[in-house]
Amino acid sequence: MNKPLMKDTFWERKENQSSPSKKPKPPKPQNAITIAVSSRALFNMDQEQDIYEQQGMEDYLNYQIQHEIEPFAPGPAFPFIKAVEAVNARLRELYPDSEELFDVVLMTSNHAHVGLRLINSINHHQLFIERFCMTGGKSPIGYLKAYHTNLYLSADSLKVREAIEEGIAAATVFSQGKITEVPETQLRVAFDGDAVLFSDESERIYKAHGLDKFFEHEKAHENKPLDRGPLKGFLEALGKLQQKFYAKGQRLDCPIRTYLVTARSAASSGTRALKTLRSWGLETDEALFLAGAPKGPMLEKIRPHIFFDDQMFHVEGAAELGTVAAHVPYGIAQRFPPKTGKEVKKDLSAKHLV
Amino acid sequence: MAVSHLFLQNCTGPLMIALQYNDLFDLSISTSTNTDALPKGRAFTFIKAVQTVNERLVDQNKTESLLFEVILIAKECSEEIKMKIVESVKHYGLEIGKFYFCKKEELINTLQSNKVKLFISTDRDDVYKALHTGIPAALLYDQVDHHVLNQLKVIFSGEVIGFSEDSLDSLSDFGFGETQIETFKAAKICIKEFAVLIGQMRRRFGHENSPLCTCVLTTWGSRNICATAIKTLREWGLDVDEVYCLAGAPCSPILAVVKPHILWDSGLHNMRDSSAPS
Repeated sequence: MNKPLMKDTFWERKENQSSPSKKPKPPKPQNAITIAVSSRALFNMDQEQDIYEQQGMEDYLNYQIQHEIEPFAPGPAFPFIKAVEAVNARLRELYPDSEELFDVVLMTSNHAHVGLRLINSINHHQLFIERFCMTGGKSPIGYLKAYHTNLYLSADSLKVREAIEEGIAAATVFSQGKITEVPETQLRVAFDGDAVLFSDESERIYKAHGLDKFFEHEKAHENKPLDRGPLKGFLEALGKLQQKFYAKGQRLDCPIRTYLVTARSAASSGTRALKTLRSWGLETDEALFLAGAPKGPMLEKIRPHIFFDDQMFHVEGAAELGTVAAHVPYGIAQRFPPKTGKEVKKDLSAKHLV
Repeated sequence: MAVSHLFLQNCTGPLMIALQYNDLFDLSISTSTNTDALPKGRAFTFIKAVQTVNERLVDQNKTESLLFEVILIAKECSEEIKMKIVESVKHYGLEIGKFYFCKKEELINTLQSNKVKLFISTDRDDVYKALHTGIPAALLYDQVDHHVLNQLKVIFSGEVIGFSEDSLDSLSDFGFGETQIETFKAAKICIKEFAVLIGQMRRRFGHENSPLCTCVLTTWGSRNICATAIKTLREWGLDVDEVYCLAGAPCSPILAVVKPHILWDSGLHNMRDSSAPS
């Protein structure tokens, strides 16, 4: 019997049949790990953005409507979202009744005129995005909270900043030139330590008193856990999902892998970072202590779907070598003018690599 | 933009909305003296927003005829209360076109004889009853704080507009009762004219800084149902400003952020439903 309604809703059928054609029901926001992604993070809208900036709203909206049936190309967060969906597929296999899944919400302040093109694009790329908010220019912050958002990715740094100030883990993504190919079956997320997973308290000491004082301080306070940073909660959420795979004997080929990629050095300041994670009951699968060396080459080897850092210098360095790097606008690093690549290189050669 | 030729002819004359006095004024708080005006009720921000739209419409065109007109209905009132109502309306400077004092059972007749374009109420049962008799009706969303926004917000149900006629028969498979399905069908018939009128009004303003804001909200439907709703409204001459697709997520937290005044309800709520608009 042809039941056109079934695939178009998320109601539960009275008879409780599970038919193979049934669309999986999205989890309740409070049970899920909600990732909110903006339209420019998910899709490449560079051309349209240019039109908006140079010609204004009317021309922008007209252009979008004229090209309505043309799907957008993938944007910087697209591979990350695809990998997130792959994890969901594995979780549904192992735990068919659980709501502890990722839930991806399209959160855009774009006007509903662009809505059809966005929905067409989601259909074209076969993404599992059923929830969206197109706020027609209004701030998405209230909606982020209403959806219990665990991570917000946007191309708009002002919105990201606002989200962080409201206690929501958020990062700014940028259009990238080349993007390294990333694994399709394993979600890889890399985090910087200070001012991302941890607070910026140690970074403040480094900025105010220099590297030596920083080392001294970290050694002296080795056993005192650092305060939490804006992305600690997201690492925690990933950890919970990892546990679900471990519980089913899938530790070795776990489809989620996390990395700490920090400028701290293994011999000294790194200890405090590890001890802090341990005190939180958290861990990353790999911890890479670069002792001040550039992060780009290491990330190129790891091939994460996304890398979070509070310093634009590192974000740019990573992006140059093909890693999707997202900026977390938090902490003391935002208040100092960004150093040029030249200045940082000079700095590095003067550092003690302990 | 393809607009059906049937609706190219602009409607003239007021867009009449009917409201009940117990939504406009708060009757739960007893007033101390006879000279106090009745306290503001849940419809207060709605009526202020409606007046803002009218002001802006007239600003643009002094001879504009497509304006909102609000009529106030009061069931079973004593003479004392009737006086109070009229005085309170004057006190707050509210633009009420007409007052109707009637018996409970006369409500539907009053609405029908006035050819109201919309009846709004915080009482869901009143809304459904009206829909069943062919009167366009929607929920008056309870705006918790009386902060007046300079914008009238109308939400159209994505399900009501997006579901096709053929799909309606399979609704009983999902545990919905006869009455609920009838409500849904009735809403589907009534919503069109109202959407067309709002579309005409909305076109008087630009994309930004409009005193009228229109939205589509899909609570249980898929993104494709939502897309169909957007397309259909566009065919009817209404380009919505905001779109929300919940896919079963609880409604209240989202509505608390959207803060609509008028909320078209699909009438379909399961027992387990955490996404019933309230």
